[in-house]
Amino acid sequence: MHRILAWLRARADNVAVGLLTVMFISFIVQILSRYVLNAPVDWTLELCLTTWLWVVFWEAAFLLDDRDHIRFDLLYVMAGHRMRRALALLAALAIVVAFLVSLPATWGYISFEKIRHSDTLHIRLDYVFSIYGIFMLATIARYGLRIWRLARGGKIEAPVVEEAP
Amino acid sequence: MSVSFALCFVALFVLAGMGAPIALSMIGAAIVYLVVSGQDLSLAGEQIIQGLYGSFVILAVPLFIIAGNLMNAGTVSERLLAFCNAIVGRFRGGLGHVNVVVNIILSGMSGSAVADAAAIGKVIIEMMTKDGRYPAGYAAAITAAAATIGPIIPPSIPMVLYSLISDASIGYLFLGGVVPGLLMGLVLMLLNARAARTRNFPVEAPVPLRQVPRVTARAFPALLMPVILLYGIYGGVTTPTEGAALAAGYALLLAGPIYRALGWRGLYNVLSSSARQTASIGIVIGGALIFNYIVAAENIPAHMAAYLEGLHLNPLAFLIVVNLILLFLGCLLDASTIILVVLPLFIPSCRALGIDLVYFGVVAVVNCMIGLITPPYGVVLFVINGITGIPLSTIIREIWPFIGMLIVALILMILFPEIVLWLPQQFGYKGTVG
Repeated sequence: MHRILAWLRARADNVAVGLLTVMFISFIVQILSRYVLNAPVDWTLELCLTTWLWVVFWEAAFLLDDRDHIRFDLLYVMAGHRMRRALALLAALAIVVAFLVSLPATWGYISFEKIRHSDTLHIRLDYVFSIYGIFMLATIARYGLRIWRLARGGKIEAPVVEEAP
Repeated sequence: MSVSFALCFVALFVLAGMGAPIALSMIGAAIVYLVVSGQDLSLAGEQIIQGLYGSFVILAVPLFIIAGNLMNAGTVSERLLAFCNAIVGRFRGGLGHVNVVVNIILSGMSGSAVADAAAIGKVIIEMMTKDGRYPAGYAAAITAAAATIGPIIPPSIPMVLYSLISDASIGYLFLGGVVPGLLMGLVLMLLNARAARTRNFPVEAPVPLRQVPRVTARAFPALLMPVILLYGIYGGVTTPTEGAALAAGYALLLAGPIYRALGWRGLYNVLSSSARQTASIGIVIGGALIFNYIVAAENIPAHMAAYLEGLHLNPLAFLIVVNLILLFLGCLLDASTIILVVLPLFIPSCRALGIDLVYFGVVAVVNCMIGLITPPYGVVLFVINGITGIPLSTIIREIWPFIGMLIVALILMILFPEIVLWLPQQFGYKGTVG
């Protein structure tokens, strides 16, 4: 199980690196085309914005752990073991409920965008925006899994900031 | 304030307080708001998607992250360190001065204090503490304090974020940071010179003069980076976002073909960690976008501006109050959260009071950067603790005088707006204060 997860994670990382690379390269193409060749191309901007949107939510869906996220964990770090478990459980529960509640409407919004296309590459916008839906589903699944683990008495993550010995 | 907004606020504090990621807390709180106020639940997602997909300016953030990581991997910082050591290492307390000067140069290439601290922290702190020359806490503290200059001297990720929420020009914001950044360097060096005398820090054996040209030549391509970047942006050649791409491209050239310090594997790792950092800031930007939408829909800034007007504050008193609030928040919150979520509340009041937004932005960003080294929550302190193993308590004992000096610099900037605005005005900026 662990090996499959690690393999999937590595592939997800490949995708993220690929997206960031495309973004970087299209920027360079944009600069070269505008300032060196004097023949600006217009598709680069849209490609940059699309890959940026995808990198953010792809990472957030599959790769960002709690320690990668910007967090306010002063109270969490100070709390004792039992308290920490309770906090982690409650937080996960709240996130799952909120995301589940807004999922149908958000999904509706995204699929409604199928009638529109992007400006230069003419990609259907529901495809472009679908990554946000994927992010919501993945977040619900990941935090749902955490609730399940914590409720069964599984280990909680150590606080991120610990004083070195 | 409506009930739904109050509940939204409570939800944000409770969720974030429980240790949930700030971004997810903001999205969750926004959903609470939409449910209670009976609005369309898809609004949260819509605002986030449209906001991130529709802003060209934000793209500078991932590009500056890539540029910074490439330089860290490409031995750029070590070369700069050797160069600065040859120039200022010969004075009493020399390595302390080297630390500040190398951070000033590095800040002309990178836009993040955390990246700067990570880049040179380990090497310079090891140099300083070798044979017990400097106390570990002092070495760590001055490194942390000097790293805060990074996002003040352009380029700067926090200033890109500020420009996003205030519509102030990034170009002028960047220019406005130059003199304040140098001022911060100056006060830190003054403090170091004093400490070197009273605590009798050692004098290093000076690097022989005939070695200086060689050390300079090794660092020269790296030293060109700020020049290229600033010329690109202020020569009117590129936009700041394209400047960021140029910086990343040049950093790739330096690390790869020029310094031969980065192979394919290394490049992959740089991009992988850049993607991670990009997303962790990007998703907070997303959360802030929906939160700012709610704050605007509730007309909070107008209420706040009216309230402040009722207090008959003059601009200076307003700035002092705001800076005290920001310093306090800086002890508890991350800088990007403060800039994206808290600062928008003050912008309408600034407009009403006639406070220039470039000036306000630079002062606020300096303030937030001080927040990076104020305990108990100071990201740069954590980074240095993480890479050197020097206990936080040891660093914190020595950090106070540095925080004090940086606050002195901040007060000077508040009292004398010319420190910020003089340089932008030389480049045609029309804004003034009062």
